Amino acid sequence: MTVSAIEFSRLGPPKLQLYAMRCQSCKQLSPWWEHFHCYKCGGEVLTEELLEGRGELTNYTVVYYPPRDFLGQEPYVVGHITMDEGVLLPAPVVDTALEDVQVGTRVKSTLRRMKLGHEGDIYYSQKFVVDPNPPKKRARPAAAKAAPAKKAPAKAPATKAAPAKKAPAKAAAPARTRTAAAKTK
Amino acid sequence: MRVGVLGIGKTPHKIQHSKSLRDLIVEAGRGAIADAGVSPSDIEMLYVGNVGSVGFNYENSTGLMAAHHLGVVPAGAVRVEAACGTGAWALHLGVVAIASGLYDTVMVVGAEKMNDLATVEATSIIAQAADSKEEYFSGLTFPSGVALTARKYMQIYGLTEEDLAHTAVKNHHYGARNPFAHLRFECTVEEVMKSAKVADPLKLYEVCPMTDAGSALILCREEILRDQPDKPQVYITASQMATGTWYAATDTLEDAYRLFNEPAKRAYAMAGVTADDIDVAEIYNSFSIQEPLGIEGLGFAEPGEGWKGAKDGSTWKDGKVAVNLSGGLLCKGHPLGATGATQAVDIIEQLRGTAPEGIQAQDPEIGITACRGGPGAVGAIHIYQRLEGE
Ligand SMILES: [Zn+2]
Repeated sequence: MTVSAIEFSRLGPPKLQLYAMRCQSCKQLSPWWEHFHCYKCGGEVLTEELLEGRGELTNYTVVYYPPRDFLGQEPYVVGHITMDEGVLLPAPVVDTALEDVQVGTRVKSTLRRMKLGHEGDIYYSQKFVVDPNPPKKRARPAAAKAAPAKKAPAKAPATKAAPAKKAPAKAAAPARTRTAAAKTK
Repeated sequence: MRVGVLGIGKTPHKIQHSKSLRDLIVEAGRGAIADAGVSPSDIEMLYVGNVGSVGFNYENSTGLMAAHHLGVVPAGAVRVEAACGTGAWALHLGVVAIASGLYDTVMVVGAEKMNDLATVEATSIIAQAADSKEEYFSGLTFPSGVALTARKYMQIYGLTEEDLAHTAVKNHHYGARNPFAHLRFECTVEEVMKSAKVADPLKLYEVCPMTDAGSALILCREEILRDQPDKPQVYITASQMATGTWYAATDTLEDAYRLFNEPAKRAYAMAGVTADDIDVAEIYNSFSIQEPLGIEGLGFAEPGEGWKGAKDGSTWKDGKVAVNLSGGLLCKGHPLGATGATQAVDIIEQLRGTAPEGIQAQDPEIGITACRGGPGAVGAIHIYQRLEGE
């Protein structure tokens, strides 16, 4: 599952900066790999939106048998991070003992070496560490672990109290919009 | 719709260093041809399910290779691929080919030779069946992606790891009695809990092994089988396929439910039966959690209740619906392209009454197979019925 250097550059900068895709029709925020259409409404105009990089670990696993590119890192944690903006991303959680990893932990992103390609080339991307200064107030309900719900609840509702994160003033990279039309260029 | 099952064949499911992919295809295929009592020249079309020969075995064009070695040339042949749903998809195309009226007799083969590579390489190839370019950039693998689903399920429905372990206990109970299974040992809940961690919370006995195997079926028009009343009268009466989400990381449990429930509803309508009518089921479980998800998707239990049958006995051999009497993928292994075809062969053996001693259900008449892949991207349902003297 190696991504070639060409493939990597074709995929763009997502591995270095943490962003998601905002649907311009319904405003749904999707993971960054949703290039082509919004999985909620089918809208085809999605605009990259930088994330602040803070969120909550809402699920996790420990990988004991890694794919080749991650050999040597095992055992490592891959978590579901529910970002404060509401989007869910899978990412490694590092710098924490396995037994200390808990659902509900506040985490923040950090740029790290992700893996080695088949030619020894190094790929960088966002991993997560425990947030030493989590925001004091948060409205996100605790993980649904105590009370088993009768019906599987939908994704946790987007945090209301979290101030609508204004897009970072100085966006490091110019926002790109991918549309169906753009693809054919 | 009724499509006759004229013949079935399969190889043992295990590590077979002495056999190549073509050996497995020929062994399973010749078994089905002999069982059907036809000759290779009677085959008008060949569908070969194979996922990864390009990666596992450094060869391609598996369908054409199989046509040559099975001796069905000049019949048409094609290789079919849809992740772990591959074997079921080959079967679907075979059913469609007969149901369309275009062909009288076709052959379906599923085969995979996985043990030519070390586990780390094979794991990497399997990961390519999901979104290896983007989502799995996070270091996820198939086991760990499904482990996330398992933890989510346990959190939401309040299960312990011991609760889930009963599914592995049941599968291994039957797998130990299936001479064609890869892993043939019984285990207790405690032993499941003590087995090595693979992807937390999934443990070794809750994960399928890498397996080499092939399975094959000869399908025919209804009248052809009807005219041979001395042959077992088993027919495929429904075949329905579906897709689901491509990204496992954003899968909800509702997504997992829909993946089987949508095609299952269509299949029940097509066959004119209900979930209550099903006697035996083979449900995809390369990881333990997928069995309860399948039980729920097929309508045998409410969402969140599917795990209970392995604990209370209702999905054991003499329960309300017998699930995975073959030992499931947990014991047979998951030879990717073969699995869907093996599930079919195993259910047909049940309906014929020829399953191995200890795993044959009491006179079942209606069976179902549910194959998933991707792991949330493919859903495949087939229904089988024994229809004597109609
Ligand atoms: Zn939208």
